[in-house]
Amino acid sequence: MALALHQIASDLYLVAGLVAGLGLALPAPRLLRLGPALLLAGALAHGIAFATLHQLQPTPSLTDLPMALSFTAWIAVLFSLALQWRARMGALGALVGPIAFTAVFAATLSLSRARSEPLAGAAGGSWPHLHVLLASAGLALLGVAGLAGLVFLGEHRRLKLKRRMSGQLPSLEGLDRANRAALALGFPLLTLGVVSGMLWVHSSGGTLLTGAPHETWSLVAWGVYAVLVAARFGAHQGSRQAAASAVAGFAFLFFAVIGLELLS
Amino acid sequence: MKILLLGVNHQTAPIELRERLSVSDPRPLLEKLESDTDVEEAVLLSTCNRTEIVVATRSLAGARLALQRFFRHELGSGRSDASAPELDFAVHVYEHVDRAAMRHVLRVASSLDSMVLGEPQILGQTKDAYAAAVEVGACGPILSRLFQHAFATAKRVRNETAIGERPISVARVSVDLARQIFERLAEKRVLLVGAGEMMELALQALAGEGLGGVSVANRTPEHAAQLAQRFGASAHDLSELPVLLAAADLVLCSIGGDRPLLTRAMVEEALRRRRDRPLFVIDLGVPRNVEPDVDELASVFLYDIDDLSAVASENAERRQAERTRAEAIVGEEQQRFDGWFTALRAVPTIQHLRARVEAMREGEVERALARGHFEESQREALEQLTQALVNKFLHAPISRLRRESEAEAGMAYLEAARVLFGLDERTEREEPGSAASLPGRGSRSREPNP
Repeated sequence: MALALHQIASDLYLVAGLVAGLGLALPAPRLLRLGPALLLAGALAHGIAFATLHQLQPTPSLTDLPMALSFTAWIAVLFSLALQWRARMGALGALVGPIAFTAVFAATLSLSRARSEPLAGAAGGSWPHLHVLLASAGLALLGVAGLAGLVFLGEHRRLKLKRRMSGQLPSLEGLDRANRAALALGFPLLTLGVVSGMLWVHSSGGTLLTGAPHETWSLVAWGVYAVLVAARFGAHQGSRQAAASAVAGFAFLFFAVIGLELLS
Repeated sequence: MKILLLGVNHQTAPIELRERLSVSDPRPLLEKLESDTDVEEAVLLSTCNRTEIVVATRSLAGARLALQRFFRHELGSGRSDASAPELDFAVHVYEHVDRAAMRHVLRVASSLDSMVLGEPQILGQTKDAYAAAVEVGACGPILSRLFQHAFATAKRVRNETAIGERPISVARVSVDLARQIFERLAEKRVLLVGAGEMMELALQALAGEGLGGVSVANRTPEHAAQLAQRFGASAHDLSELPVLLAAADLVLCSIGGDRPLLTRAMVEEALRRRRDRPLFVIDLGVPRNVEPDVDELASVFLYDIDDLSAVASENAERRQAERTRAEAIVGEEQQRFDGWFTALRAVPTIQHLRARVEAMREGEVERALARGHFEESQREALEQLTQALVNKFLHAPISRLRRESEAEAGMAYLEAARVLFGLDERTEREEPGSAASLPGRGSRSREPNP
């Protein structure tokens, strides 16, 4: 059942993304309204899929990379839905849908085959799960911040060049607020993810850092985000600069946390 | 029954004539019009761009004459405008009958016949005209059905096409652009630089958005005060511009002068004070009121009159592109209404047939009882039995007649039914004029006579 629900969720995410994209391109308000509904249906199926994971034999662990990515996608979808509920963010749904599809589809493939390797050693009690949950949630929210920043930059450029307009696109102010909210929630979660990761390493080896590339790069990415957060909330950075920073920051974080893992 | 429509609009009559023929309250005129024996039902639609009367009638020629009299003597009576030309029916007035009239009403309600294609006001105006006709009892089953159908058609056109989605006036384009920059206009402060007619129009468009506050700055403070008073804004002198600029989110400029009033340095200083929050500047002045290089600042979105006009023109073109789809919807809906309207032809024949068979049934029941074939106590059972037989016997031919009469060739079926059942031969039991009547208008209900 968990496998089928994962499949359903990934399909719904893809359809939601396509419907929202079509709604923006045509523009068709009905399709734009349908997009979030499909995304929500996908998120519900995805949530139930997680709840029924224990039925699978052997039960997959959240510390498996595909499952961690699937969880990240779920949090990103839920957060983008919350943003769409507060403001007209159909464009965000159009981007989140296909990305979530990719992550969940990969997880489904992994579930249907032999189990993949865990992220690191299995020892460490509950720290590994806590680390993955917190870091994945942080990654998801900072990913949404990056997507909001990306849409902001496109919209900003379009308005500056006085190109064809569509009333269905999100406002710059709305995108900036989404970026700000995602950063404000995502960075503390990432911080907790890094701290729990260090405690995990400590509980299994007696030291906080082992010097592994994943560890080093993650710490550097955290440092980059710390600077971005300080600039955003301390120095009252302009919204365009903040959007560009969110995009660049997430690109770096993705490479540090996921990219290296995939390359290794 | 026929549907007849006579009217003038922006394509056929100059504004002076349209003004003279316009009606603020159609109710007294509808009551007068309805008293004419050739007019069964009537609706009068009057807007700044059109005055139209649509009637349902049994006598096309009589109704035409009644409407012509009405246009000449009732509309615009008591209003003299020397500049308005004399009403010439051949030039100014258009006439549509039946299908053309249906189609016209559907097109008008859907804003396909409007001066500004896709404008939303016409639907509300059409609804008001219909409500006025209903209020005075001038609207019967045919026009009620036609107008309800027109409202549904307009809704379909609006939902299924993008004909009304993109604004095409400079003021509405400005509001639309502002919505793409700001999430909620209700929280935003607007600064108007200038107090002329252009500013007033823009302010009217913005007023509906419930702004956070409006300031008007002008060279002549009295003019600023006048405009500010009308819209609940604050009036200022141009010397206060740097402070006002820092507080504003949306700035509209239209003020005379040889040199730009808002310089890049002034806007940069305002941005510094407002911590780079986005600023939307609309320059409606010619010559321009804002230095063009202000647009190079990342947080400023500067649109001049040409930029806005280009967007408005592009939107107008897109609306035109939607016209074909909208016309197709109107065509479909007109056919649907036409089917219902044509089927009305069958009503008198069906009712006549029912009356004839019912009379036979009653006669046979009485005869059977009189001859003593049945007891009086068996009357109820006998009535039920014969009624059931009649219903079963008539069900198939009546259903077929209803269905076939919606098509053009349906008249042949009606003729055949009249001959086969001898409906044109009056029996002694039948009262003259006992045939069908349409429901819906109480004592004024009359038989449709297609």
